[in-house]
Amino acid sequence: MITRSCPQLMIRFILLATLTVTTGCSSIISNQTAKLANSLSTAILDNDDLQVVADGAPAYLIMIDALISSSPKSDSLLRAGSSLNGAYASAFVTDTDRRLKMTEKSLAYAEQAACIEIKTLCDVRQLSYQQLSKALATEKSSSVPVLYTLGTAWAGWIQSRSSDWKAVGALANVKLILETIVALDEGYENGNAHLYLGVLGTVLPPALGGKPEIGAHHFQKAIDLSQGKNLIAKVFYAENYARLVFDRDIHDRLLNEVIAADAKTAGYTLMNTVAQQQARALLASADDYF
Amino acid sequence: MRSLFSPTFLSIVFIALLSSANTSLAATFKIATLSPDGSAWMVKMRAAGKDIEAQTNGRVKFKFYPGGVMGSDSAVIRKMKIGQLHGGALTGGALAKAAPDTQIYNLPFMFKSFAEVDYVRERMDDKIIQSFADAGYTVFGLAEGGFAYMLANRSITDFDTLKQGKIWAPDNDILVQRSMESFELGTIPLALGDVLPSLQTGMVDTVATSPIGAIALQWHTQVTHITDMPLLYFYGILALNNKAYKKVSDDDKVIVSHVMNSAFKAIDKINRQDNIDAFEALQALGIQRVEMNPADKTMMQGQADALAQTMLNNKQFSQPIFDEIQTLLTEFRGAAE
Repeated sequence: MITRSCPQLMIRFILLATLTVTTGCSSIISNQTAKLANSLSTAILDNDDLQVVADGAPAYLIMIDALISSSPKSDSLLRAGSSLNGAYASAFVTDTDRRLKMTEKSLAYAEQAACIEIKTLCDVRQLSYQQLSKALATEKSSSVPVLYTLGTAWAGWIQSRSSDWKAVGALANVKLILETIVALDEGYENGNAHLYLGVLGTVLPPALGGKPEIGAHHFQKAIDLSQGKNLIAKVFYAENYARLVFDRDIHDRLLNEVIAADAKTAGYTLMNTVAQQQARALLASADDYF
Repeated sequence: MRSLFSPTFLSIVFIALLSSANTSLAATFKIATLSPDGSAWMVKMRAAGKDIEAQTNGRVKFKFYPGGVMGSDSAVIRKMKIGQLHGGALTGGALAKAAPDTQIYNLPFMFKSFAEVDYVRERMDDKIIQSFADAGYTVFGLAEGGFAYMLANRSITDFDTLKQGKIWAPDNDILVQRSMESFELGTIPLALGDVLPSLQTGMVDTVATSPIGAIALQWHTQVTHITDMPLLYFYGILALNNKAYKKVSDDDKVIVSHVMNSAFKAIDKINRQDNIDAFEALQALGIQRVEMNPADKTMMQGQADALAQTMLNNKQFSQPIFDEIQTLLTEFRGAAE
């Protein structure tokens, strides 16, 4: 009854959490504000200059904070604030304290948004796995946007606290939320929930009880649901699955496909630019690894 | 750190340049492990490998095969024997057949606390490492895996409650299965990967692992209680086959040994703290900590002692190593009283 296997949990989450700033039109915020926010998020996603985004996004972060402060019950603004803080922290912030603060803000906004829409998810961080499972069992597809924000913000929050075992212990709850999203509407945000589940499904090797094939299935779904436009899905597939199972053919094929693809695709340009950079780096280190 | 421009280093380079067979001085060690890439263990070993490569000017390199891609510990050992691999980062008991005394720390109920572990290890680790050496393996320090504790979907504070449970046993671990038999406990042998789904369906309801393992494997989501009674202690090692290691020059061995020893000391320390933190995290995550009642604890200790005696009689480890650990523990417990 005793296992001697004692793996450190390795969490290789999404480097660039999707910069999806789903502002939408809320009755609380003006149409003009919503239009501006949508235009800004599109401009960010379609930019291929990471430095410009890194330098320019903080102003947008402050603006979103200001908007939330004047409309604290706006679930769409809260979700936008959560996504932007989480994505910026994951992609550009290396200072540990700043990263902790930003991911905390990201999760706090997501929790507020969830609490507005789904009362049983108020204080979601305090829920046990069984309690959360029960709360999610009755959710409908209309809950997917808020669940997506919550799941991805929580994943980023854990990633920034990967040496905190209490935080790591909440990973199972994040997985539960992502599985609920996939069950309700797997195509939401072009299948990005599958991308997260792919990473989570390839944390442990089979020798330690992992089932990487399930992770591979999620990666493939993320690729298919984005119609192959989301190049980061292939990079994560290569890095997390192909390296885990030591399959160099799949690794190199996926990464070469990423490099050969046109990064400029509406809604994906920024992420795809990062994906191509990562693909080159992974290919360069492949001889060392395999 | 050795200087790359030390006289010894320069003489090695000089000889290497003169020799037409200079590749004999270069060695790439192929090392396999169950540990996943990116884990603290792998991060430290990769960094140590790079450091050694730099310090030996590329004469000694390490290539790692993480995540069990080369198979289980026993498969890795087989591959080491035929030269397909040169080393393995293994659980301490994996080489028990070749070096029986190395499993002395792993016996059930051997230690009651980390303080006892520290007292004994400070005085006995060198002997354990020597046992590996006598069996043909160079080992660079022991890295703690921690204590395994019982976790269940109910409060286990007495032996009868434990006995009534559906207890998991790893399907490939004879020592654990024998231990369970000696406690007269029925078990359900399962592969590691089947434990979480079996906990979910209720096929098993009692498991044992380290606090880190409980969280990493997500078993903590299916249990409600942890019994605060260390069942057994386990450790990990990096073992190099001496047949391969002898190709390394004495000077380079000094570098390899220094760097790897430092890495394993660091892993040892990190794992201790991680397990302490994870134990607390389990409680913060809602798992209730309970104690086994003293009478049943004593009874189980007695059964563990009897198992140790049987193993000793069967020559599964030597009398001197058993006597030494018993003496040290008696010494420590006497001083603690």
